[in-house]
Amino acid sequence: MLALNAVSKRYPNGTRALADISLAVDAGEILAIVGGSGCGKSTLLRLAAGLEAPTTGEVQVDGERIAGPHPAVGLVFQEPRLLPWLTVAGNVGFGLAALAPTERAAKVNAALARVGLADYAARWPRELSGGQAQRVALARALVTNPRVLLLDEPFSALDAFTRVDLQDHLLDLWADTRPTLVLVTHDIEEALVLADRVMVMRAHPGRIAGVLTLEAPRPRDRQSGTFERAKRQLLADLGRAGTYRSGEEAFPTAAI
Amino acid sequence: MTPVSVAQTSEPALDTPAAPPPRPFRWRLLLGFVLPIGAAVLWEAAVRSGLAEGRLMPPPSRILATLVDLARGGELWWHAQATLARVAAGFALGVAAGTALGALAGASGLWRALLDPTLQGLRAIPSIAWVPLFILWLGIFEASKIALIAVGVSFPVYLGTLGAILSIDRKTIEVGRIFRLSGPALVGRIMLPAVLPHYVIALRSGLGLGWMFVVAAEFMGASEGLGYLLVDGQQLGKPAQIISAIAIFAILGKITDAILVALTAPLLRWQDVAGRS
Repeated sequence: MLALNAVSKRYPNGTRALADISLAVDAGEILAIVGGSGCGKSTLLRLAAGLEAPTTGEVQVDGERIAGPHPAVGLVFQEPRLLPWLTVAGNVGFGLAALAPTERAAKVNAALARVGLADYAARWPRELSGGQAQRVALARALVTNPRVLLLDEPFSALDAFTRVDLQDHLLDLWADTRPTLVLVTHDIEEALVLADRVMVMRAHPGRIAGVLTLEAPRPRDRQSGTFERAKRQLLADLGRAGTYRSGEEAFPTAAI
Repeated sequence: MTPVSVAQTSEPALDTPAAPPPRPFRWRLLLGFVLPIGAAVLWEAAVRSGLAEGRLMPPPSRILATLVDLARGGELWWHAQATLARVAAGFALGVAAGTALGALAGASGLWRALLDPTLQGLRAIPSIAWVPLFILWLGIFEASKIALIAVGVSFPVYLGTLGAILSIDRKTIEVGRIFRLSGPALVGRIMLPAVLPHYVIALRSGLGLGWMFVVAAEFMGASEGLGYLLVDGQQLGKPAQIISAIAIFAILGKITDAILVALTAPLLRWQDVAGRS
């Protein structure tokens, strides 16, 4: 569905953000990308979204090389990035300008209902809480029915309760149309709760340090033994990725 | 700060934002009148009681009488309308030029490198310095006056437009890119609304300068207009007429600014600003 072939990215200032990354994500798969800051995980997502072009290599969607944002690929940013001059409904319908107004309104209302904000259509973005705004951003990305949805640390700015809430919510939304999800996160638990595969990245230059496949069915119990084992495995991988000293101390899983 | 009276009979519906509660500080509006009215009353009392002479600084009653006289004879409307027409024409031209240049300089670094140094240099010239040249080029009638006002208006509008465009957040632009907006759509649906709040402020400061320059323009030999009333009042020793004209300037300036704000307010309803109350 989404493939990166020998992709590398060097910024004009000489920083090698990514070196020779090859990666294939299947249709309907949920891939989480974890790694310390500066490991290039956000750059990877921006390349996949077509916001930036790789220095070498290519990004493919459905076997087709992309040169810019692709209609089948949606992106949710770290911040909601709602347009303050549009109402909630206007923001959700932003990508549907080509549709007739009635059709657009129907899709917008359905998308808002799916994220539980049907009553908020006429509100301004400034009237929303952080969690509500991120749900509107999710609705805006989903309303165009993308086959690939990229999420760049979408819940990192939210409090712990809202975060867990939205993680469950994301799985519900995913179950409807089963798009391919690529989720960049620094929250190991988030990766383990959501993903089929977790990819660990290493910095300087950004590259893949390891991939962990999770077989356990969703929804996953955060207290179960398998979950704990997977978490230890992932922390060990991250430790080997050189981001952290491995040792006996407990890692703050949400603060990496 | 307009007073609002909200008579709410039913609960606000869930899907509409709740109406703001009625503002409790309506009396604050009156506070603005305390200083000018207080000063006027004191001065009137001082002149009437013989404490002050009031020849060069006439008491409010005499100024009011002058205003009524000017209004009755139709002179006031004639002069005010001449000045308004000049400000309107100069403002329109200045806004058009400033907006076009600002948009051009904001659109590409190449245009900015080409235009900005020259425009900043021209901006450094006190606009009154253009007066002799404009009179030579355009004559002493309307054209030179409107040109002077347009020059004065165009620079703040240029600066405001350019600054607004340069301050558009890259993150907002990326939202447009993700939805694959074309160039014109990106301008229309992201950049225009994003620059609007700054642009309105640029228009307001442009309008303020327009009123400033219309006086300078009318000093350079006009036979009508509020600026002519000022010069005439000085030459004939009629301080009441000068103060009347100044008062009319204050009122017209305030009214035109309020009109500009009222016209643009519906476009800026979405703003999340601290000064809402």
